[in-house]
Amino acid sequence: MESMLFEVNGLSKRFGAIEALADVSFHVQAGELLGLIGPNGAGKSTLFECLAGVLPCDSGSMRAGGRPVSARDRRSLLFYVPDGIAPWPKQPVRWVLDFTIGFLGGRASAREEVIEQLALVPLLHQPVGTLSKGQRKRVLLAIGLLTSQPALLVDEPFEGLDLRQARDIAAALRAHAAGGRTLFLSIHQIGDAARFCDRFVLLSSGRVCGEGTVPELAALAAAHDGSRSYDDLEEVFLALT
Amino acid sequence: MPVTRTRSPFLWLLDKEWRELLVSRAWWLLLLGMGPLVGVSFISAVRTYAEVSGLNGTSAGVGEALAPLIGVWAPAFSACELVAVFLLPFVAIRLVAGDRQSGALKLELQQGMSSFTRMAAKALVLLVGWLVAMLPPLSALLLWKSYGGSLYAPELITLTVGHVLNAGLTIGLAAAMSSFTEHPSTAAILTLGFTVGTWILDVFGAVQGGWWERAAGYTPAALVSEFEHGLWRLDTSLIALVLIVAGLSLAAIWTRLGIPVSRRLWESAALGLLAAVGIGACTFLRASWDTSESRGNSFPETDERALRRIRQPLRIEVHLAPEDGRRLDLEREALVKLRRIMPNLQVKYISATSIGLFEQTSAGYGEIWYDLAGRRTMSRMITAEGVLEAIYSVAHIAPAAETDEAVFRGHPLAAPPRGAGTIFYGCWPVLFLGSAILVRRRFQ
Repeated sequence: MESMLFEVNGLSKRFGAIEALADVSFHVQAGELLGLIGPNGAGKSTLFECLAGVLPCDSGSMRAGGRPVSARDRRSLLFYVPDGIAPWPKQPVRWVLDFTIGFLGGRASAREEVIEQLALVPLLHQPVGTLSKGQRKRVLLAIGLLTSQPALLVDEPFEGLDLRQARDIAAALRAHAAGGRTLFLSIHQIGDAARFCDRFVLLSSGRVCGEGTVPELAALAAAHDGSRSYDDLEEVFLALT
Repeated sequence: MPVTRTRSPFLWLLDKEWRELLVSRAWWLLLLGMGPLVGVSFISAVRTYAEVSGLNGTSAGVGEALAPLIGVWAPAFSACELVAVFLLPFVAIRLVAGDRQSGALKLELQQGMSSFTRMAAKALVLLVGWLVAMLPPLSALLLWKSYGGSLYAPELITLTVGHVLNAGLTIGLAAAMSSFTEHPSTAAILTLGFTVGTWILDVFGAVQGGWWERAAGYTPAALVSEFEHGLWRLDTSLIALVLIVAGLSLAAIWTRLGIPVSRRLWESAALGLLAAVGIGACTFLRASWDTSESRGNSFPETDERALRRIRQPLRIEVHLAPEDGRRLDLEREALVKLRRIMPNLQVKYISATSIGLFEQTSAGYGEIWYDLAGRRTMSRMITAEGVLEAIYSVAHIAPAAETDEAVFRGHPLAAPPRGAGTIFYGCWPVLFLGSAILVRRRFQ
């Protein structure tokens, strides 16, 4: 059995009257490809931001190795790549990657490999703000892949990518996961998640509806439904949410 | 070329902030505007100075008391004040709010560097940016020297420091507003609104007097005015520094997105309290330096020596309304100088109205009472000489004879502003425009 990297217990977050996260609990195993799946507005980005410490949560805790994770521990444990941002829009991609290595403590040794895997060579001299959505997503992924924390949280890694790009990036992510890094990916396209991830956390309306591999979730859905059996993640998701 | 991690994260951050400043349109617009604005003020000031000094057949005798600080440098550097109020906030807001708007803040916060350090890096880069913007007014010094004009370093350093502090106040304010608000335009409105508020305080202080007048003495406009006259006061300088640090700290507190809002509110309140205590403590400091060559903020040295011998507290009761011109003259001509010399001075203004127009016929209006160790005398004179005479009378001190060396003779210069138009309307804008194009091309 794989060792646990960290666990989250009873995480809650409200935005005024809206309950974005309600008593969210799950665990992340070291070296796994974990998918956070749920429809738009389920609270996936909010959960990632709370885990990364860029958004305060109202209650709940994070533990690693049986101990509460402090802000300092969190910074050395995980790195979060948000979706839909265009950081340092006037700066060229080349500089952004160097800044990631220099300022965010990224791995200089991985620079060329990441550039090649994400096909960033033609973009290196372009400012981030001038890139298309898909190109920007590749740059954001490069930032994440260059960082050195054991867990990488990526919000919607396949958003804005065409089929070929999505396949190439999936391969790049898999290669990094094979190197022992834990990838926790928020994906709203359940089909993409099913193809890519080993295990899943199902989130709906801010609540965890299930956690486990597809067979484990299918069993949970069957128990929930009481009659039929499931073998497809989409059907499982619909049954559990 | 592979990057090596020899630079510290802070140097990387400085590099980033500097690059962000270089690609900021607002900064280049500020630089473009600075040359012509300084040019207008400098050319007009030099022309007037020359005419008063005897150019074109005007009376040369008037020019004997001319001081370049008041005649040329205060107006020429006033462009800095204008730019600091209307253009610098946009540069600061862009640099502080840009990270939040682009989403870069969420990445940078995960580095773990203190928000205070991050804000310090921004402030440092903005300060350098402001010093670059001050090159056109500083180039006016060389031009003035080439005309044969006189330069007096202490007063010019004081003037420059005053404008740097004023810019620092704008940066601190804009940074704080940018961190409170989601959108830069809201931050700009709040920053300008705050600045207009300080102007209203100036007006209110002039009308109401009392505590309002005292508070108005610490607004950015009042600060700049003192430095423009070559007066370097420790209390106003330290208060400005406290406000700058408070503004930047407030910005640092509110850019920590992962901290609950309630905690940020408590931290802000604690910071406000700390700043208030600091400002309060600074108001008790009396040290000041008159760096003007003309000693425009000081009595003659012989009088100052005589005044220093007075140990007892001196109370002055002034029966003049806040808007009465005589009260302003009394402050500028005598009381400002007196406060610097006599720490035990207490000035009390008494009036029934703010304008004093309908008090002119009241008994006692216009009187200035001097009280020293129970001895009292009254005078209506508002000039430095009149005030000194009354103080000497109440202190039973014989006025010292004025020596001829102590009198500032001025530096009249009857030279037209040759070449200034070319430099300020041509060279500086072309230089900044060319630099902007080259830098932006490099980034594209």
